[in-house]
Amino acid sequence: MGYFGAGRRRLGRLAIRSGIAFALAMIAVGVIGFGIADHWVSSRIDTSLQYHTSKYLSDVDRSPNENADVEAKILEWQHRKVLSERTYLLFDRTGRRLAGRLDIDPPPTGLSYVRFTGGGRHFEVGRAIATRLANGSLFVVVQHSEAAATLHALLPVVVLVISLVSLLMGVSATLLFAHLTAKRLAETQEAAAAIAAGDLGRRIPTDRLDGMFAVQAETLNQMLDRMEDLVRSQQLFSSNLAHDLRTPLTRLRSLLTQASREEQPAVAPLLERANRECAFIISIFDALLRLAEIETGQHPSAMRSLPLRTLVEDVAETMEPVIVDHGGSLTVDRLDDVAISGDPDLINQLLINLLENVATHTPAGTSATLSVERDEGMVVITVGDDGPGLAKADFARVIQPFERGRAAPLGNGSGLGLAIASAIARFHRGSLDLEDAGPGLRVRVTLAAIDTAGDAKSQSSTALVLA
Amino acid sequence: MHILVVEDDPVIADHIVSGLSFLGHGATLARTGSEAVDALTYRTPDAVVLDRMLPDIDGMSVMRHIRSDHGTIPVLMLSALGSVKHRIEGLQIGADDYLAKPFDVDELAARLHAIVRRGAARPEGAGLEVGMLRLDPSSHRAVYREGSAVLNRKQYSLLAHLMRNADRLVTRSMLLECVWSYSFSPTTNIIESNMSRLRTTLQEIACDPIETQRGAGYVLRSQRCA
Repeated sequence: MGYFGAGRRRLGRLAIRSGIAFALAMIAVGVIGFGIADHWVSSRIDTSLQYHTSKYLSDVDRSPNENADVEAKILEWQHRKVLSERTYLLFDRTGRRLAGRLDIDPPPTGLSYVRFTGGGRHFEVGRAIATRLANGSLFVVVQHSEAAATLHALLPVVVLVISLVSLLMGVSATLLFAHLTAKRLAETQEAAAAIAAGDLGRRIPTDRLDGMFAVQAETLNQMLDRMEDLVRSQQLFSSNLAHDLRTPLTRLRSLLTQASREEQPAVAPLLERANRECAFIISIFDALLRLAEIETGQHPSAMRSLPLRTLVEDVAETMEPVIVDHGGSLTVDRLDDVAISGDPDLINQLLINLLENVATHTPAGTSATLSVERDEGMVVITVGDDGPGLAKADFARVIQPFERGRAAPLGNGSGLGLAIASAIARFHRGSLDLEDAGPGLRVRVTLAAIDTAGDAKSQSSTALVLA
Repeated sequence: MHILVVEDDPVIADHIVSGLSFLGHGATLARTGSEAVDALTYRTPDAVVLDRMLPDIDGMSVMRHIRSDHGTIPVLMLSALGSVKHRIEGLQIGADDYLAKPFDVDELAARLHAIVRRGAARPEGAGLEVGMLRLDPSSHRAVYREGSAVLNRKQYSLLAHLMRNADRLVTRSMLLECVWSYSFSPTTNIIESNMSRLRTTLQEIACDPIETQRGAGYVLRSQRCA
């Protein structure tokens, strides 16, 4: 409630602020508009004054009775037009008014403003054009600038009205916009509150939303899907860990119970078996800590330019006796001279884990192959076997911690080997993928290659059969 | 050897002290950091087993004290913090070795032997000889009397390490660290399989000096190389 109250107050302030901004903008527009109109009216008046002067003087110019002709014309105009916005005046060379009904002093020649009393007491301002005749008299036309005066008189009112209307429109538009936004966000807010309260399955309804609101809601929903997946996999991880520990712990307890009932000579071998179960449990925790260390970036990385040939030969030499003891053979198919930027300890573990998987999760007699190839800018390390392989549906699952192939017995390895290998590939900004080798399983690790001095030899490859 | 054991957990402390006594070593127990500092003033041990987390002065501070006041006494740091990062931290402040809990007393004793005799160990890379058994680095061969056999790189390094530590127990984890430079524990019998190949090769030249210590590791017996 408090949240919504504060929200409304914020909306009110926003509406007033945008209303004022609207009003100021409209005042500026009004002032500029008035200036333009004023200028336009003035120039029209000047043109009209020049036009009427030339019309009056066209036939009297240079005649001997210039003054008399002009006076006659003025008188005739006064008779004809009782009310007019123009007044014609004639002054002699001494400045005495000869004709015309406006009490002003003779203005300077050309265009100027003149002040006069318009019947009552108040002064009016008019635009005048004065022309000196050949005999020295001054002919003046005065335009009573009523249009301009009216325009000036109207300005404050117009500006005030415009400002008030703008203020009103600005405030209402903002309030309307805020209302529409709030209405669309209310459901999002409600869903967010439910999720914060623990309902991770809740999603923002998108059917009543449009435009950017719909796009935003969909993005948020995708984010929530991802978060829910992560939480679920964490929960699965914990329950898998508990399940995986249950088996060796049960065996350990059985062995200890059995040992407590046995006579002295039979106890030692039982305790030795119990010790092995402890070692297995410890190995699960060691692997878990290692996985966490790599995944959270806590591993003190010794990243360096790492040529793979020696490292892979070393791993092949190390693992060959293990695979042979398992009844198979280990063949290095192809070994390109390539280098990566890597941590040797982690890359060793990656390869050892993949080859140990062959030795522990396939039937006796399964052989393994190992190859390192350069593929444009990438290095592809492949570990394959000719065992029974995995169903394609299981590929994504077995990379997860504590997940094993359906055929693999529990207690055979920590169940973290592939998860750690995959984490190491990701740690090196690479990827680990499983493929059907038909027969068998192939694990492809793709890492970025780096150029080294010995790169010219990268095309050469060797085949080395170890067993 | 006389060992100063600095460990606050009574069960673990008792396990270490009785285990070392069983193996013929004397041990003094200190339950706190300050007790350890006092014990060091009273008597200089051959080596120290130092728990990293202690109730008063922590193990890292005790380690610094040992290095500043007692010079080069070999120290093995013991800790429940077993990641590579923690291990590096321990070695960087001067520990000679770092062992993560849980551990085996045989492993602890073997590592103590290794750090105490480190000064006496033969340098790496030099041509190695134990009795009539000799390693030839240029041809990667093991030579025994008239016979000789080619070893692959792993077998060569494995035999070289055992020869450098002749008549002393070398555990599997020590071999993983020293011969393979692995900071992780493989799940298969990498050591056993490679050791079995090495022994088969040595038997071909009528030399069989390597003895398996069940559950613990391997010892290369110099008398069998005569």
